[in-house]
Amino acid sequence: MKPDLKLNFERKLASFKLSVQLSVHAEVLVLFGPSGSGKTQTLNSIAGLVEPDEGEIVFDQTTFSRKTAGQARVSLPARSRRVGYVFQNYALFPHLTALQNIEFPLRKRGEARTRARDLLSKMHLEDLAGRYPHELSGGQQQRVAIARSLAADSRLLLLDEPFSALDSFIRERLHDELRSLQSESDLVVIYVTHNLDDALAVGNRLAIMREGRIEQAGDIETVLDHPANRSVLEILGLPNILGTSVTGHNDSLTTLDWNGLSLHIPHCEASPGTTMTAFISPNEIRIATAGQNHPNRFNGTVIRKQFGRMATRVIVRLENGCEIEVVPASNIPTIGENISVAFPVERIRMLEG
Amino acid sequence: MNWSAVILSLQVTAVATAFLFVFGLALALLLSRYSFPGRTIVETLVNLPLVLPPSVVGYYLLVGLGRGSPIFDRFDIHILFTWQAAAIASTIVGLPLMVQTSRAAIAGIDPNLENAARTLGSTEMELLWRVTFPLARRGILAGLVLGAARSLGEFGATLMIAGNIPGQTQTLPLAIYDAVQNRRYDLANRMVLVMTVISFGVLWWARRLEKNRRFK
Repeated sequence: MKPDLKLNFERKLASFKLSVQLSVHAEVLVLFGPSGSGKTQTLNSIAGLVEPDEGEIVFDQTTFSRKTAGQARVSLPARSRRVGYVFQNYALFPHLTALQNIEFPLRKRGEARTRARDLLSKMHLEDLAGRYPHELSGGQQQRVAIARSLAADSRLLLLDEPFSALDSFIRERLHDELRSLQSESDLVVIYVTHNLDDALAVGNRLAIMREGRIEQAGDIETVLDHPANRSVLEILGLPNILGTSVTGHNDSLTTLDWNGLSLHIPHCEASPGTTMTAFISPNEIRIATAGQNHPNRFNGTVIRKQFGRMATRVIVRLENGCEIEVVPASNIPTIGENISVAFPVERIRMLEG
Repeated sequence: MNWSAVILSLQVTAVATAFLFVFGLALALLLSRYSFPGRTIVETLVNLPLVLPPSVVGYYLLVGLGRGSPIFDRFDIHILFTWQAAAIASTIVGLPLMVQTSRAAIAGIDPNLENAARTLGSTEMELLWRVTFPLARRGILAGLVLGAARSLGEFGATLMIAGNIPGQTQTLPLAIYDAVQNRRYDLANRMVLVMTVISFGVLWWARRLEKNRRFK
C-alpha cells in the first residue's frame, strides 16, 4: 500500500501560530511560501525535532505525535520515525567521508557497506566515496545528503530548500533524479522552497503557506489556475493582479472599474460596488493591431523588457497608470513604443475581495 | 635533581587530568547543551578558582575534606596530607580552563548536525560519541592540555591541604620553593627550567590544537 502522511497540528511560534492541516500521498508535495512562513518549522515538527502544542501527525498508520484532549499522548522520538531529512545546509558530518556519512544510519557493518554502495551509485557518487564534505561541490553534497537520508529505508523524505544554493542546470538534473526516486520507491516527499521555478519543476502538488497557515493546497495546475485568494496570488508572485470594483452588468458581460478603465468580464452575479481581484496571465494578453475592435482594448507604452529563457516579457504602462506584463506572441515591441493591448474577456480570472 | 618531586608531580597531574576529562567534559556538556535553573551559578562556581587566591581554595578543601566534614566522617576517607589531596586540589584549579575551552568547542557545533544524527536514528548517547565529541575533539583536547598544565603548576592549594612532605606530597613547585628557602639555587635553577620547558611546550601545543581546526 502506498504510504500517506496526515498533518493536523498547531504550534506557537514567536510571531504567529503554526497551524497545519494537510494530507500528503506518495507524491512530491511542494511547500511554498515566503521566508519565515513556518515551512521549516513544519518539517521539524514532522521529523520530531520540535513538538507540536496540539494535534496529530500520522504517517502510514504510525502515529508520530498526538496531543489531543481525551486521548493518550504520543510522541515518537525523532530517531524512531525513520524520516529522511535533507537540511538546508545539508548537515553532512564534516568529520566523515561521503561513504561514512551514508553509512551513518546503518547498523550492521557488512550490510551497511552494500547498501551505502548501492545508494552511492544510485546518486552517481561512486568516485567520490572517500571525499570529505568540504572536498565536494554543492551539488555533490546535496546528493550525499539525499543518499544518507534514504539509507535507513525512509519512506518519507523532507527537503528544506535543498537546491537553493545550486546552479540552475545542476538543479534541473537533481529535480529529475528526485522525481524518479520518488516514483521508483513510492516515497512521500515534502519539498520546501521559496523559489517558484523549483516548485513548478519538481512538484506534483503545491501547498501555499503564509504566516503559519496553509492558504491553499492542490495540484499545481489547479492552484495556478484557480488561486483560492489574493494572498495566494501574491505569494506565487503572479503578475497582472488587478484591483477592480463592479460597475454594472448587461446580458453577457459584467463591467468593472479598474483604476479608471472599464474592464469587461463574463457575466457574474456580484452587485455593483463589490471589490474584486482580476488577474490574467502575461501569455493571454494580446498586442492589438490598429483598427481591431475589442471590449478590453487599452493603450499604453512599453517601459521595460525582461529577458527570460523561455520568453521575453515586456512591461507596459497603460493609460490609467497601471503596469502590466505581457509575453508577446510574435513581434516584440521596442522600449518607448506606443502599443494597444487586448485582454480576452474569457481569459480574465476573478477572485472576490 | 629532585627526581621524587618530578615523579610525584607527574603522578598528581596524571590523576588530575583523568578527573578533568570526566568531570570537565560532563560540566562542559551540561553548560553548553542544557539550560536549567541555576546554570549561571554553576558556571560561576566552576570559574571561581580562576580568581580566588589558592589559599582560599585550599582552605575550602581543608574544611571539606578534613575532620568534621561529611566525607571524612561518613565515608571514613582520610586523604588530607596525601598526594591524593594534591590531585584533588590540582583538579579544582584546572577545571575552569578545561570547562571553558571544551564548552566553546561544543557550543560551536552546528545544532543541525546533531538534529541530522537524531533523524538518522541515533540516541542522545550515540550522537555524543559519533558526532559531538569527534567534532569538538580538538577543543576538548586543548582544554584538557591547558587544565593539565595548570594542574602541574598548582602550588598554593596543594600546600594548604597536602603539605610539603618530601617524597610524599612535595610536588615540583613546592620543591622549588623549598630549594630557594634553603638557598640551593643550583637545584632551584634546574627545576625551574624543567617547569618552564614543560609548561611552554604544553601551552604551545594547546594553542596549535585550537588554531588548526580541520573542520569549519
